[in-house]
Amino acid sequence: MSVPGRRGIVLALGNDILGDDGAGIAAGRQLQGRVPDGVDVVEAGFGGFHLLDHLEGYPRALVLDAVATGAHPPGTVLEFSRADFAPLASSPHYVGLPEILAVAETLQLDFPADLRILGLEVERIDTFGTSFSPAVAAALPAFVARAVSIVKEW
Amino acid sequence: MAKKHVVVDPITRLEGHGKIDIFLDDAGDVERAYFQVPELRGFEVFSIGRPAEDMPQITSRICGVCPMAHHMAATKALDDLYQVEAPSAAKKIRELAYDLFMFEDHALHVYILGGPDFIVGPEADPAIRNVVGVIQKVGLEVGKQVISIRRRARELVTYLGGKIIHPVMGLPGGVAKGIAKDDLPMFKQTAQDILAFARFTLQVFKDIVLKNDDYVKMILSDAYTHKTYYMGLVDANNKVNFYDGQLRVVTPAGKEYAKFPVQKYLDYVAERTEPWSYIKFCYLKPVGWNGFGEGEKSGVYAVAPLARLNAADGMATPEAQAAYEEYFKTLQGKPVHQTLANHWARVIEILYAAERIVELVNDPEITSADLRILPTATPKAGFGVVEAPRGTLFHHYETDERGLIRMANLIVATQNNAARIAMSVEKAAKGVIRKGVVSEGLLNKVEMAFRAYDPCHGCATHALPGQMPLVARILDASGRVVQEFRR
Repeated sequence: MSVPGRRGIVLALGNDILGDDGAGIAAGRQLQGRVPDGVDVVEAGFGGFHLLDHLEGYPRALVLDAVATGAHPPGTVLEFSRADFAPLASSPHYVGLPEILAVAETLQLDFPADLRILGLEVERIDTFGTSFSPAVAAALPAFVARAVSIVKEW
Repeated sequence: MAKKHVVVDPITRLEGHGKIDIFLDDAGDVERAYFQVPELRGFEVFSIGRPAEDMPQITSRICGVCPMAHHMAATKALDDLYQVEAPSAAKKIRELAYDLFMFEDHALHVYILGGPDFIVGPEADPAIRNVVGVIQKVGLEVGKQVISIRRRARELVTYLGGKIIHPVMGLPGGVAKGIAKDDLPMFKQTAQDILAFARFTLQVFKDIVLKNDDYVKMILSDAYTHKTYYMGLVDANNKVNFYDGQLRVVTPAGKEYAKFPVQKYLDYVAERTEPWSYIKFCYLKPVGWNGFGEGEKSGVYAVAPLARLNAADGMATPEAQAAYEEYFKTLQGKPVHQTLANHWARVIEILYAAERIVELVNDPEITSADLRILPTATPKAGFGVVEAPRGTLFHHYETDERGLIRMANLIVATQNNAARIAMSVEKAAKGVIRKGVVSEGLLNKVEMAFRAYDPCHGCATHALPGQMPLVARILDASGRVVQEFRR
């Protein structure tokens, strides 16, 4: 199933009522109107296998997401590409992007050859609320600007 | 020997909050263990002062996996809050959307999440015990069908729900949108294909799982067996229903213990905290809390597919009923206490959902435009319940006379199951930890114990896993790490 005439998709992930967890969603909203024609920006409050339904058919994809590695100061913008993914998670039960990519490859689905993830290191993701911690709020413009520069190359 | 504390903990939260704690006694044997149910903080504070009508949208954001379950429980709580009953056609639209969601989520579990254990096999080489291994076992064509039928079910949910993730269909007293007559043929076609797929799935389960003695032995294994109470929603004939009905509880011997409407849930369900965990463990209030034990004197109960089938007298559709009878016959009586039978029960529920979807799309009322009754009563308290894929989900709100939330209490499926999950994890851990020595396979055995319940990872909405890191640490009484297992 392909999406004719589309250059790519931006998938904005996260939960917009869970504090910093909404950083990806907020960035996606700020991207509206700032992306070239032929690029879809889609909010997705889900994860796992359902991502497959949305990525299929696009030649390029950029995923925006809050990340909590704990290895970087909050507000750090991190970039990952397909090459950075572990081949498959070591748990047989977990389904994330590496598994989705493996499934897409096995089933020979029409899947983005150019798949990148832009992550924003966050601070608080376990408490309900609609505001960001200061470091995340301060980093949002740079996060969005980096996303814009990526999709402008498409 | 100092007391030890073993922690199995994901390094990051990107794959959800699953975490296992295992406490050792002075002799180095397992004293108790528990699964850390993911908990998000501040939901009640966040809700207070908000209009109750917003709850179906707000609560559907709690979980990236089960938005429809929260949406529907909240919608039903609003019916109750405003003392208004939705028109018959609106109830059917809701049930149709709900059963489509249940079908899709269960199918995903059978093939993708549970598949590595049951389709590929628990003893298979780890290199193939994954989703790709599942596809290779069932074949590429079937793999494509799984992807496609799920997507089509989700498209119908999106049609009815407005949005797939945060549905906007449910309103107090009805639904926002019905099915246009012109679109009905599409619904009927998809429903037929869903039913065909459900039948096929039952056959796959029989061929791959039930014809393999090792799998059947594993299902029947004592390691994952607990004789507890079971709870589930039933219709007027005591048949399984996901969307509506009364809560029924059966004893470990399978006798009806209680049957009550959701408004009485606080008379039957109580929560208990333990000093060593922030988890609240649910138990049956009239029975009381008597520790993490089995039998009629322990208030521990279970929810989810296995429990639903145990708590009901049968299935409301013919093919699912036949599968239900075969299930209890093969597993030698009712109730079934073997936790791993959840996988089989889930397949039977897929068939029920599919048959019910076909019934609903062929119901003459399904394209009716009579979809809402406007509420006029003054709100005070509202209760809603549905059977989520992972078990019973309660919503309870209290409001002021303007309908602004004063109190919100939710009990999600995994909370209902928390005590029994702890018992399974403990049993699995006891099998691999003796006298302070942790033998091989701790992570696998313990993970299988809690995965059988398919516990919610409510906020696992993220894409980037890196690895699924499980870390088992053994800490002595002073908190010093003396041993660490990692993968």
